[in-house]
Amino acid sequence: MIAALKNLEGFRAGVRDWLAANLPADWQQHMLGASEEAHIAFQKSWFRTLAAGGFVAPHWPVAWGGAGLSFAEQIVLYEEIARAGAPRLVLYFISLYHAPATLLEWGTDAQRRKHLPAILSGDEIWCQGFSEPNAGSDLAGLRTRAERRGDHYIVNGQKIWSSNAQYARYCLLLARTDPSAAKHKGISYFILDLESPGVTRRPIGMMTGGSHFCELFFDDVAIPAENLIGAENNGWAVAQATLSSERGLTILELTERLRNSFGLLLRDARQRGLVADDEVRRRLVELHTRIEALRVMINNMLGRMLHGAGVGTEPSIIKVHYSELLQDFTELGVRLGGLEAQYLQPILMGGGYETGYWMHDHLYSWSWTIAGGSNEVQRNIIAERALNLPREPKLALAK
Amino acid sequence: MDYQLNEDQAALVAAVQAILRDHDSVPQSARLDFCHFNGDLQHLLSEGGFLDAGRDLGPLEAALVVFEAARAPVLVEAGASALVVPQVLPGEGLAGPVALVTGDDLGKAHRNLPIARTALVDLGDDVAVVELAPGDVVPVESILAYPYGRFAVPPDLSRARRLAGAGPALRQWWRVALATEFAGAAEAATVFTVDYVKQRHVFGKPVGTFQAVQHRLAQCHQIAMGVRYLAFRAAWSGQARDADIAVCYAQAHAQKLIFDLHQFNGAMGVTNEHLLHFWTYRLRALQAEAGGAHGAALRIAGHLWGGGPALRAAEV
Ligand SMILES: Cc1cc2nc3c(=O)[nH]c(=O)nc-3n(C[C@H](O)[C@H](O)[C@H](O)COP(=O)(O)OP(=O)(O)OC[C@H]3O[C@@H](n4cnc5c(N)ncnc54)[C@H](O)[C@@H]3O)c2cc1C
Repeated sequence: MIAALKNLEGFRAGVRDWLAANLPADWQQHMLGASEEAHIAFQKSWFRTLAAGGFVAPHWPVAWGGAGLSFAEQIVLYEEIARAGAPRLVLYFISLYHAPATLLEWGTDAQRRKHLPAILSGDEIWCQGFSEPNAGSDLAGLRTRAERRGDHYIVNGQKIWSSNAQYARYCLLLARTDPSAAKHKGISYFILDLESPGVTRRPIGMMTGGSHFCELFFDDVAIPAENLIGAENNGWAVAQATLSSERGLTILELTERLRNSFGLLLRDARQRGLVADDEVRRRLVELHTRIEALRVMINNMLGRMLHGAGVGTEPSIIKVHYSELLQDFTELGVRLGGLEAQYLQPILMGGGYETGYWMHDHLYSWSWTIAGGSNEVQRNIIAERALNLPREPKLALAK
Repeated sequence: MDYQLNEDQAALVAAVQAILRDHDSVPQSARLDFCHFNGDLQHLLSEGGFLDAGRDLGPLEAALVVFEAARAPVLVEAGASALVVPQVLPGEGLAGPVALVTGDDLGKAHRNLPIARTALVDLGDDVAVVELAPGDVVPVESILAYPYGRFAVPPDLSRARRLAGAGPALRQWWRVALATEFAGAAEAATVFTVDYVKQRHVFGKPVGTFQAVQHRLAQCHQIAMGVRYLAFRAAWSGQARDADIAVCYAQAHAQKLIFDLHQFNGAMGVTNEHLLHFWTYRLRALQAEAGGAHGAALRIAGHLWGGGPALRAAEV
């Protein structure tokens, strides 16, 4: 345990009591195979419950209605939320992390006043519109165009993989404002109202059955110039604030959830009479040791952050480790579950990545080696920045 | 545990590193050997009190010393002296180097026995302390990067000093020492290979420019880091299960580490003219000890879920 957390046992007990009193005990029953409407309604009600307890925006500054908890308190809070198996606020992920991090660092006061209270009220849901069909890992290659016309920008182009955009009102949008500038230099960052004329959303079906993200099409969409975040053509720098907004707490929570769900693997091993099998025991322990290795790495990173030190490439190392572990974990679940685990099973909406409905969990886990910077890109980062290996030569493009 | 070194720990590490810097290179005459024990360095670390860190400062500090020592290509015996002895004999020191011996396998070759002045023999519940005199041990030829040896005549354990009830502690801290040494050697071997792929050019570029190389080395770095933190946690927590987890994670990943690290040194990596094997052959030796990854995994399963069929839900 991190030393600074020792003094927080009182806080921890308070969070635990609050969760015991406020987390609906039967939420999983209601969310198993729930309709999208029911899922959204429950996300909103859990948001309001957390807000009433002062836990929805633990990391926001008090001046903007947040709880202003210390980083150490936030660690404790996320550990307890994971321990309690509370629903994940997936619908509000961008709204609670990426949007405020971006607005607080780069937004105008008017932008903050307009949006931050609305987000905290639970009314305003945000999504992120960075990736495009031809700009994923190579994000700076994005082509969606924004042209200044008087006091507006006119946007044309397309975004893809925008999580929960079907439910969102606002979008954190990257678009090219200077096509003649170098790749990273001609991009600007906007707040886009998705109800503007000319925006079309198309939910994309996933191989798990659900529809987690959307394609967004822009056809002469007008964005008021006051919705520019940061200076024109400085969007790449602004985007770094968005991308570094999570600060390790999400992966901490997910890892603790993974650890807690070990019992689900055992449940299945037991049901099939496999717990005494040495090979199964060995596979289970292998996962257990990898979870423990992940936990010590995360603790180390958080410990460093508590001391105000930089974290270097540890987020990349941890992301690679977590995502591959999650895939192997859920894959063992599929195998232990036998044929039944392969059938189409109901989805536990808002339940995270290790719900025990293994086929769904496993297919969903495949997203994890892609999203948030693919594992190949993360390994490039580790090689270049932790091992100081030479950068890969850039391909010389034929003119 | 807190992974930030405090000032005292940082000073300890710096002091060990300073000594190692001056004494860790393998002399030219020993470059073709499989193992090179540096008695002078052993003496310096011992006289400097570094191997007593476990008694004077604590097990985590001892692990820091063992980790640093294991990064040297030359061998010193630190794990048993610094991490194991203070736990089984809290009040006193023993003449080092110390070898750890499984009582069931007394007749087999044991790691570090030829350089040891004392052997701690695991008798199950108890531990026997056997003082060694010249001639008591016959070296056994091995390509592993530790000296191995057998007892010339099996020691008379009935006359040896007995530490009653010390067996479990011996086995637990043996594993902590094993994982910590593994971590040090794994890190040093990775750093060595990373340096090599930066210097070695092919097709006009450093080998390390290529992603096929970079990604596997990134993986090695990740493994070495995981073993290090798990080993330090086991030293800090003093929990038997943490020791098993560290050993299991290390041993389960040994094969991948050894293979990739040799691979990227090219043909140079399959010779003994390169330094690499001084570390990787230690990993190879350590991966087989204490029951290996399979044994460790089944022990952990036992800790976690009890015996196979008798598994109880309450223990999960
Ligand atoms: C579940 C999910 C949610 C997402 N949510 C959002 C969202 O809300 N908003 C948003 O903007 N985006 C989102 N994304 C998109 C995500 O950021 C991209 O998918 C990701 O950056 C990878 O881009 P790509 O899919 O275009 O793959 P590509 O970049 O086309 O990569 C294809 C393959 O090539 C590999 N590759 C690429 N470059 C290299 C290289 N240099 N070296 C070696 N291999 C390489 C990749 O690792 C990958 O395996 C989401 C994605 C997923 C899966």
